[in-house]
Amino acid sequence: MTLFDLVIRSMRKNIKHYYLYFFALIFSVVLYFVFATLQHDPSVVERSGGSMGAAFKVAGILLLFIAGIFVVYANSIFLKRRSREIGLYQLIGLTKSAVARLLIIENTLLSAGALAIGIGIGILVSRVFLLLLMKLVGFDGFIELTFSMAAVTQTVIVFLAIIMLTSIQMLIAVRRTTLLGLFNAEKQGEHPKKPKAFRSAFLALLGIGLIGFGYWLSGRMMNPLLFFNMLAVLGSTILGTYLLFRVTISWLFYQVRKHKQGHLGLNNSLSLAPLMHRMKGNANSLTIITVLSAMTLTMLAGAYSLYYSTEKETRSIYPHDFMFGGYGEQDEAIEKQFTDELDRQRISYLYTPIEVLNLEGKFLEETTSTKWLGENLSASIVSEKQLQQAGIDVEIPDMQSAYFYDASVYWMMKTEDVPFEVELKTAQNELDVTVSKVREGNVINLPFAGTQLVVNDAFYHEIKALFINEEEAYRISNFKAVTIVDKNQQATASAIYHDILDNGDRLTFDYYSQYISTMQSTGLLIFIAGFLGLVFLISTGSILYFKQMTEAEQEKRSYATLRQLGFNVHDIMRGIVRKQVFVFGVPLLIGLLHSIFAIKAASFMFMSDITLPASIAMGIYALIYLGFAILTVGYYRKTVKSAF
Amino acid sequence: MEQYKTVLHAQNVRKSFGTRGNVVQVLKGIDLRVMEGEFVGIMGASGAGKTTLLNVLATIDRTTEGSILIGESDISKMKDRELSAFRRDQLGFIFQDYNLLDTLTVKENILLPVSLGKMKKRVAEDQFNTIANLLGIKELADKYPHEISGGQKQRTSAARALINKPSMVFADEPTGALDSKSASSLLGTLEDVNKQRGVTIMMVTHDPVASSYCSRVVFLKDGNIYSELYRGDKTRQAFFQEILKVQGVLGGDSVDAL
Repeated sequence: MTLFDLVIRSMRKNIKHYYLYFFALIFSVVLYFVFATLQHDPSVVERSGGSMGAAFKVAGILLLFIAGIFVVYANSIFLKRRSREIGLYQLIGLTKSAVARLLIIENTLLSAGALAIGIGIGILVSRVFLLLLMKLVGFDGFIELTFSMAAVTQTVIVFLAIIMLTSIQMLIAVRRTTLLGLFNAEKQGEHPKKPKAFRSAFLALLGIGLIGFGYWLSGRMMNPLLFFNMLAVLGSTILGTYLLFRVTISWLFYQVRKHKQGHLGLNNSLSLAPLMHRMKGNANSLTIITVLSAMTLTMLAGAYSLYYSTEKETRSIYPHDFMFGGYGEQDEAIEKQFTDELDRQRISYLYTPIEVLNLEGKFLEETTSTKWLGENLSASIVSEKQLQQAGIDVEIPDMQSAYFYDASVYWMMKTEDVPFEVELKTAQNELDVTVSKVREGNVINLPFAGTQLVVNDAFYHEIKALFINEEEAYRISNFKAVTIVDKNQQATASAIYHDILDNGDRLTFDYYSQYISTMQSTGLLIFIAGFLGLVFLISTGSILYFKQMTEAEQEKRSYATLRQLGFNVHDIMRGIVRKQVFVFGVPLLIGLLHSIFAIKAASFMFMSDITLPASIAMGIYALIYLGFAILTVGYYRKTVKSAF
Repeated sequence: MEQYKTVLHAQNVRKSFGTRGNVVQVLKGIDLRVMEGEFVGIMGASGAGKTTLLNVLATIDRTTEGSILIGESDISKMKDRELSAFRRDQLGFIFQDYNLLDTLTVKENILLPVSLGKMKKRVAEDQFNTIANLLGIKELADKYPHEISGGQKQRTSAARALINKPSMVFADEPTGALDSKSASSLLGTLEDVNKQRGVTIMMVTHDPVASSYCSRVVFLKDGNIYSELYRGDKTRQAFFQEILKVQGVLGGDSVDAL
């Protein structure tokens, strides 16, 4: 029998062990191939331009890393499960190099198969992903997906590298192990030692303390040391999580067990005891899974929130559909042409002149803003009445007071204590105004919006009378807000506007085109985040599943014993489910908690409330994750049933 | 020794393995009655059906034909679920390779059969203390199986079999993995448990030394009961010689056991 025959035989006999690794491989190939296809797809490339291409590239590299780590990890579990077989080959007289050759031939055959199948599936499903992507970025046209040779080449190269990596891994595994070690590998596992009382208690509390500190600091990062704060939060939370799994939980378990004085009960015998037994070995992977989950959840929730609030966010920056008057006479001509065209096409619109006073001033008190930007400000004073006429829903401030609007600094001003005083002044006059509220968004479109102070109409005229004379007349700007009455005509109106401008390069500041372009970038973002999130999720879920599968095999004998002692499958499964609740639940729960704090810390980026979209994203994540837990419990049930 | 009450009564027990066309009959109609307080050894050559008989009697496997009464219950008619509960409440098991759970301490392992919480904690604790003292493993309570010797593991396994005050204990080659010193020490203990606490024990073994500790030895040959020996008032030595004689007649692998 040649080595090759042996390979074929062992593969046929081991199909049960292989399929796990095989699916892991196929799965990685499919995802990578889909990504590569999208990256090379002409319709994506054409529509994406520079920013999208870059995002795809970065995501591609990230994906490559995850796929690599995932395959290597799956391979190591796979190798461990087969250690007895590898030992047997050596026992019957195969040399180490022959065993290594055998494994590498197997690996190459397997990976080549997975690569072929993966690319096949990838070709089938990439269209679905392309459609999804196009839908997300708001493109409705017909999409032709072309078969991309470049994507195939890229995938093949990447996975050839991964095959090399796993082959090296196998070589090292075979070289490093002794016969004795190989036979014992399945029995390995540590035995819980009595923790050193003081040291463990200290580290256990330190773990919780570090996480708590990270959470606490995450709510107080908004100062010029932002970057260091972020590092500190990350560092203390990750270290805390590690200690939690490595020490705190073992310590708690030990206390519970000690308290039981041997009367553990069946449920604890099947959950607490085996968990303690493997805590040291599992601490690393549980920490990684928790941190990955937290990262993924934050990424998903953030991206989905951005996507979800695109319309609201754009509207708060561009309160009017169109705004003219900021660029003098040339702008007036465009405005005339634009409104004429709207009239001609019978698009009804609301036309409102808005007068703005541009004044200098300064903050009289220390505010968050003064810490970042200094105490001086230049404010646009706007009357509430004109805004109402333009269809913007603003509250009417009291006399002598003003509402503060500035979308660009809202994130730091929204937590400001009100009221605070600002002083407006020109060479001749000065006036103290009380800011009684900080409001969300702008009342004038970008790029004309700076700090905007909305005041009562009567007060506006008072201010105007006080500051404006012939010399200071230049301080008055006259804007014209154009708002399209029928929302469905916004696209047409925007097209007209762009036709008139006819300048591909200059930035345009109408609401609709901003909305569309934001939609495209957030759509792409949610797609990439979702894609990577799915990969993360499935990788972490599978790793937990693989690990639990191995544990189930290792504990099969215990289940057989328990069944012989007279416990039925139902009794045993109760304890096992408890264990799975811990194995899957704790990383998810801590990951969720981490991400909630991360999202809260990052919520300054959003003007709108993101509780809903973030909850939806987290909910979906938890649901898919739950699927893996159910699969695992199913596998255990099968194991327990067959153990007798 | 006077026995009054029947603990186990097997009638015409048959067991076949394999599918249609390729059936191997391992037990060919066994009738066996075990009285309360007996220590029964089952002997026979490899393939005689010792372990199959034990498994069938101990409710671990099902008969193809025949009935088995343990106490008042006919276990051949019970459903799987009832059988589990019956095993847990009424029977004790000692296995050749101990079958202790690696993740549990000695005490936790011993308390497993009562771990569904039907026994009060204080009662269980008392019971544990009594049995652990009896078997001399009290000091090992907090040790894990990997920290103790084979003999100690088998004592733990025996303690686990006794914790729920079973009507009967089944032991499958309990000394098979032990050195002779640990083996005789364990068998001595089992004998004590049998005599002092009146626990009924059925033990499968191929070792004549081990079976000389029993009060009765049943010899199987090709799925049938070949003969039976009662120890009566004989010394262990004399009983051992008798067993050897029967084994000699039975032939097979008896010699290499010595």
